[in-house]
Amino acid sequence: MSVKAFELVPVVERELLTGDKARINIECLECCGKYLYVGTNDCFIHHFLLEEQTIAKGSVVYLSQKLQQKHLGLKKAVSELKAASALERLIVLCDATIYVHDMLSLEVVPSGSAKIKGVLSFCVNENPVSADPFCVELGVISSRRRAVQIYTVHEDRVQLVKELGTPQQPCALSLDGYFLCLALTSQYMILNYSTGASQDLFPYDSEERKPIIKRIGREEFLLAAPGGLGMFANAEGMSQRAPVNWSEDVVGAAVCFPYVVALDEGFVTVHSMLDQQLKQTLSFRDGHILQDFEGKLVLASTKAVYMLVPLPLERQIQDLLAGNRVDEALTLTEGARRNIPKDRFQILHKRILQQAGFIQFGQLQFLEAKEHFRKGQLDVRELISLYPLLLPASSSFARCHPPLHPFADLNQLTQGDQEKVQRCKRFLISYLHEERSSEGQNGVREEVDTALLKLYAEADHESLLDLLASDNACLLADSAPWLEKHHKYFALGLLYHYNGQDASAVQWWVRVVDGDLQDPTRSDLFEYVVDFLSFCPNLDLVWKHADWALKREQKIGAQIFTKRPVDGDQGSKMNPEDVVTYLQKHSHALVLYLEHLVLDQHVQKEKFHSQLALLYTERVLALLSQPSSPAQALSQARSKLQRLLKESTLYRVQMLLGKIDGVDQLLVEQATLRGRLGEHERALHILVHQLQDRSAAEDYCSWAATPQEPALGQQLFHLLLATYLDPDVPGGVDSVAAVDLLNRHGNMFDAVRVLGILPEGWSLQLLRPFLTAAVRKNAHEQRTAQVALGLARSENLQLLHDRLKTRGGPVVVSEKKGCQLCHNTFSEPDCVCLPGGVPVHTHCAAQRLRDSPTKRRLENGSDHT
Amino acid sequence: MPERAKMRKPDVKVVILGDMNVGKTSLLHRYTEKKFKDTVSTVGGAFFLKQWGPYNISIWDTAGREQFHGLGSMYCRGASAVILTYDVTNWQSLTELEDRFLSLTDTANADCIYAIVGNKADLTESSAQGPVPEDGQGEQESVGTELRPTGGGSSSGGGGGGGDALHQKQVNQDDALALYARVLRYKGLDGMACPPGESLCFETSAKTGYNVDVLFETIFDMVLPSILKKRREGEPSTVDLEDCRVPKSIKGGCCA
Repeated sequence: MSVKAFELVPVVERELLTGDKARINIECLECCGKYLYVGTNDCFIHHFLLEEQTIAKGSVVYLSQKLQQKHLGLKKAVSELKAASALERLIVLCDATIYVHDMLSLEVVPSGSAKIKGVLSFCVNENPVSADPFCVELGVISSRRRAVQIYTVHEDRVQLVKELGTPQQPCALSLDGYFLCLALTSQYMILNYSTGASQDLFPYDSEERKPIIKRIGREEFLLAAPGGLGMFANAEGMSQRAPVNWSEDVVGAAVCFPYVVALDEGFVTVHSMLDQQLKQTLSFRDGHILQDFEGKLVLASTKAVYMLVPLPLERQIQDLLAGNRVDEALTLTEGARRNIPKDRFQILHKRILQQAGFIQFGQLQFLEAKEHFRKGQLDVRELISLYPLLLPASSSFARCHPPLHPFADLNQLTQGDQEKVQRCKRFLISYLHEERSSEGQNGVREEVDTALLKLYAEADHESLLDLLASDNACLLADSAPWLEKHHKYFALGLLYHYNGQDASAVQWWVRVVDGDLQDPTRSDLFEYVVDFLSFCPNLDLVWKHADWALKREQKIGAQIFTKRPVDGDQGSKMNPEDVVTYLQKHSHALVLYLEHLVLDQHVQKEKFHSQLALLYTERVLALLSQPSSPAQALSQARSKLQRLLKESTLYRVQMLLGKIDGVDQLLVEQATLRGRLGEHERALHILVHQLQDRSAAEDYCSWAATPQEPALGQQLFHLLLATYLDPDVPGGVDSVAAVDLLNRHGNMFDAVRVLGILPEGWSLQLLRPFLTAAVRKNAHEQRTAQVALGLARSENLQLLHDRLKTRGGPVVVSEKKGCQLCHNTFSEPDCVCLPGGVPVHTHCAAQRLRDSPTKRRLENGSDHT
Repeated sequence: MPERAKMRKPDVKVVILGDMNVGKTSLLHRYTEKKFKDTVSTVGGAFFLKQWGPYNISIWDTAGREQFHGLGSMYCRGASAVILTYDVTNWQSLTELEDRFLSLTDTANADCIYAIVGNKADLTESSAQGPVPEDGQGEQESVGTELRPTGGGSSSGGGGGGGDALHQKQVNQDDALALYARVLRYKGLDGMACPPGESLCFETSAKTGYNVDVLFETIFDMVLPSILKKRREGEPSTVDLEDCRVPKSIKGGCCA
């Protein structure tokens, strides 16, 4: 209840009509345009001109001016009036007779035949079948027979179209198209006057209660039903809307969308057709007539006439919203979809949805609120602005006017209840998050992202970092102080970085790493900063903080340089020389960096290789000089050095040799360096005799051989063999080592040479693996060579073929073709081709050659086809 | 929030009939809002529009009171399915279906489907008392109404007993099946051509939600052919101005 849908406005006061004559009553009404006709029980028709005036606050008043009154000359009451404006006729029912009067003069139309006698009641077809606009269709209940009649009223005549009998006496009717809706004595029915088909609706005792039939639209009627119901029925006899529950003693009903208005003895009740609920009750004594005319609801007591003026829809909706009746307001709004222009409806609908959303938001019904915000396409800033401090200071947003809600801010809304505030904030987070991922946030990205950032920071939400790491529009000026306030220094750095202020970002992070500020977001912040610097294109910034990082930890700090992407653009590239120079004071980092350059990047620069080798050597020497140093560290350092010495060819050999020559523990290294100098004999000597490590010697031979031609390998192995077999060295011939060497690396030797130098007494069994391998190798080589030869030949043939093909097509010789020289046909496939591909007999060619004075030979011109 | 009755045109009509206080409104309410709440006696009738796939189904909830009896045949006119509802604790409510309500369905479609539904099963079947698994809220609701008889069923045999005490079951499934057979005979329908009684006799509880969704969904599935038929019939009679696709040209062009 308590919607104010209609306002009762007096139109014609008692004085204007009946004065103080108590026995004179209003019997019937007609309202047509600005004219109001009132029929009374003393056979008068009063004609008024109505003027509608809107006064302050949108209220409407009516000024009525009596144009004239006309006595019909009878003693009976004027029982019904209907205007036919197109004909300028007023159809009057009085004394069971229909008269046709002129609308303005109220005189009876001259043509004498224009009346219908024996009429109980009549109605006008508002949806006429006839296409003639200057013709009115009447449905008439006959008082003499159980029948209804259809008439057409023209300007000057009245014509009976059809008469239909009814099973009982009709007492009320309405007409739409071909369909008559009739109230009979004990029931309602629908009658199609064209086909005669009838359809019972439902029982109703017309003698007990006055039946009401009100056409409410195309082929749809509103009927008074037992039990105080207003039933809807369509022409097919079906009900398409749920009934409204008015009262038992309703005397009149009218429809003004979306309301059904009913008049009973003491009240006017207003029900909504949309939800069937009672919306408004107006007290009205002595109600007599309630009718709607072209959208106007006219209400009359026996003495005076009133108008029920519908309040503007917007105002009704606002009233409902003011009472927090969201569903009803929305139902009413959506019900009005067809009644107001589309663009206006959309604006209205959106606004109502937004308001509804805020009401539900105020009640913390977030799901519903969200749905309404979405549907109403709410400017999300309206919502953000409820939360203190969330909108950026620079935002030009001003709340919509008139306001969508009565709340100043969240604190007022929740009255300081922190739990509620938190719930509201969680809602906003989810709402903004969804808003972000949808497309609909035109031009408000900054506000949305900034608000979201603030909420995340405040709530310690994990999505804060995602927000900052992804594409965002957070306003720096507004967000930075907020993040600082909430100690989100890591996030603050990300924000600065996103805004191109890497220097500030690193500064904040450095302070956190150094422990000046506390932010537990990342425990590995130092590694993060190093990683950040390694990708940072701003070299000044990198140099500025490199020292800090290296001082903190060289191993990780060195990553600033080692992890730098190689394929960066020119501006962000670092000169390795500068880095090496810079790193001189951080030896550990320097080693790491040089390793990165030499081993990973394969930079072919003598300086780096030498320096790295030198650093390795120094490290090894340093370890050697401390007897307490762990063996593992030493072996690691040595293997690094050995690896570099073997793999690199660029370092300065003499310098290194100078460092380690004479150090007895580093014989392998010395041998390698000797090898680099080409002193293989010396190297092998060191390995075999000083170090006495045969496998190292074999490894040395393999290593020294690989990059160069295999001949050197063979030479080295022979040298090694010779060393083993040399009887002059201390220890004599080492035959075990020699046999092992031969058997293991058999394929590295020239077998013939080996057999020549081996001592006579060695058994064949001893050398069996070597000999097998040697024989196999020989066979293999032979076959490989044969295959290679065959392949080369076929390739050659192929090339010849290609060459021929590019020279010209085939030369065709047949038995029918004649020789160019002797003009005889060919009998054999042999022929000689003259230049230009002309085939001739071999003997003709020879003849011609013999005859030719120059005796020049045709070169290479023969071909056999 | 209730689904607002927008101005959509229903494709098919389902009507719930039955004596007063058997729980027709509660059934509909349970189905549409997944809740059980106290309802007042329905005046006249009410209806609800249900979106079922691409179709709109209007469900009419009628008034059980004798006073509104005359309106019943109007509600049933053109119905594709009628849900005849009784109260399992009240034998009289089943008898009334046959005596008073069956004749109202004369105006329904010839191929109308009839379902016989015994409501308030929670009062007699412990299995129907359990909370609805998919709906935690329903349980909460029912806690509040624990000590009241469902649907204000003061006319039911057991009176206002507590939720735990099982009421005397007065109507068995067999009785419902027998009624279904009589309904078909009354309608002059061939029992073999119609869906079997087992698939159209339900025992439900609007209070706990037991069987309610099954009931409505079974019926909606069964009325689908009726919708399709209606659509087919409806097609040629109106010209769809919205659908202004150019018809495929069938010209026999010279180069065809």
